[in-house]
Amino acid sequence: MKVVLPVIGLALVIGLWWLATIVFGIERFLVPSPKDVVDAYLAQQGFLIEQAGVTLLETVQGFLLAVVAGVPIALLIVSSKILERMIYPLLLAVNAVPKIAIAPILVVWLGFGMLPKVVMVLLVCFFPIVISTASGMRSTPAELVELLRSLDCTRWQEFFKLRLRYAMPQVFVGMKVAISLAVIGAVIAEFVGANAGLGYVIVVSGGTADTALAFAAMALLAVLSIVLFYGLVMLERFLLPWAEGTRN
Amino acid sequence: MIEIAGVRKSFGALAALDGITLSVADNEFVTLIGRSGCGKSTLLRIVAGLLAPTDGAVRIDGRTVRKPRRDVSFMFQQPALLPWRSVLSNVMLPVEIFGLDKRGYTGRAHDLLATVGLEGFEKRLPHELSGGMRQRVSLCRSLIQNPRVLLMDEPFSALDALTRTELSQLLQQIQQQYAATIVFVTHSIDEAVLLSDRVAVMTPRPGRIHRIVDVGIPRPRSLGRHAHAADVARLSNELHDLLAPA
Repeated sequence: MKVVLPVIGLALVIGLWWLATIVFGIERFLVPSPKDVVDAYLAQQGFLIEQAGVTLLETVQGFLLAVVAGVPIALLIVSSKILERMIYPLLLAVNAVPKIAIAPILVVWLGFGMLPKVVMVLLVCFFPIVISTASGMRSTPAELVELLRSLDCTRWQEFFKLRLRYAMPQVFVGMKVAISLAVIGAVIAEFVGANAGLGYVIVVSGGTADTALAFAAMALLAVLSIVLFYGLVMLERFLLPWAEGTRN
Repeated sequence: MIEIAGVRKSFGALAALDGITLSVADNEFVTLIGRSGCGKSTLLRIVAGLLAPTDGAVRIDGRTVRKPRRDVSFMFQQPALLPWRSVLSNVMLPVEIFGLDKRGYTGRAHDLLATVGLEGFEKRLPHELSGGMRQRVSLCRSLIQNPRVLLMDEPFSALDALTRTELSQLLQQIQQQYAATIVFVTHSIDEAVLLSDRVAVMTPRPGRIHRIVDVGIPRPRSLGRHAHAADVARLSNELHDLLAPA
């Protein structure tokens, strides 16, 4: 039932969509029928998968860089009040800038290759990861902190044996938010200036009114997002078997 | 031997403790009892070196306590188990933090867990255990490094009544088996009478020791089932009177 009901829901929506294109006689370049989309996909399958690979690579690289940079920054913020006051407002200010506004500048600085896309993904992912990691480390229960103090632990031990471990479920919350934003970031960067990637495919097919191809690219983007998200969910279940039970 | 000499503690303008002087002999079981806010937990944290006194000092074996010592362990009201660690690895946490040889202590950890009835649960995670079982794990952890002094801050107060009684009995047995000096904080008169050699009755605002009562009932004790039932009742009444609001 867990799988059956969503599948029925999806089939129903696709059926209605198909019906609408036939009943209302909607032009193919406005709203293509599901069959048009599948045909467009099959006609250029190799090309589309190659472009999806480009977008995937940009997304994953940017995301991993955000994790590698974000977790230590969160650690710094939590470990020192002074650093927190210095860095935090800056982070908030940077995050307040709509990322899409930075995209054209990234093209000016870094050109049309993959690098500006990776940087864009890094920018959108960074903030949620820092915030949830920091709040996770801060939410360590007082009695656990006191326990470690009663053992006269070092600051280092307090962070690595307790705070960071305790924050891991929160780190995953941040990563799950980030990975959804990551794909958006990659596509935005591709919109602004690219010669590859699914975002590039959408821009080009928009220009030639090849709406069916754009839909095919969008569907691939959705699949990409979902696979990445559930990949993280599986990784969390594997790495943090204790988190499930503790939440209840 | 623990000496608490003229300890005063204030938090800003609030006087939490004033003029606390108390000695605890080796292998003695002393209970601090009082209503909420009488500073008993604060006093215990000062003895542990988790808080610094505003005035006065605490000496253990003649040395002034300035920070937590390895031969003094602290047991909290909450089990305070690390949720990602198995039962055994939670018990071994102090050994790990102190950088001691793990192999030498694993056997002791198993023995302690068996003593509290948790044999076979070594690999379980804390969330799979009941509240009483978690507190038993916490008790084992506080005994793993073979401490000379055990400080217990209302360790059974978050448990249901039946589990409390059970763990109080267990603690008696453990004190005899792993002889240690124990300072125990509670607001339960039953626990105080069952467990202590002496009971220090504390009164609030500021926290002071109002009276020290010798228990002097032969061990092993139980509540109301044996010949000493009359002694238990007399002492409970005395403590009730001492704790009654003025």
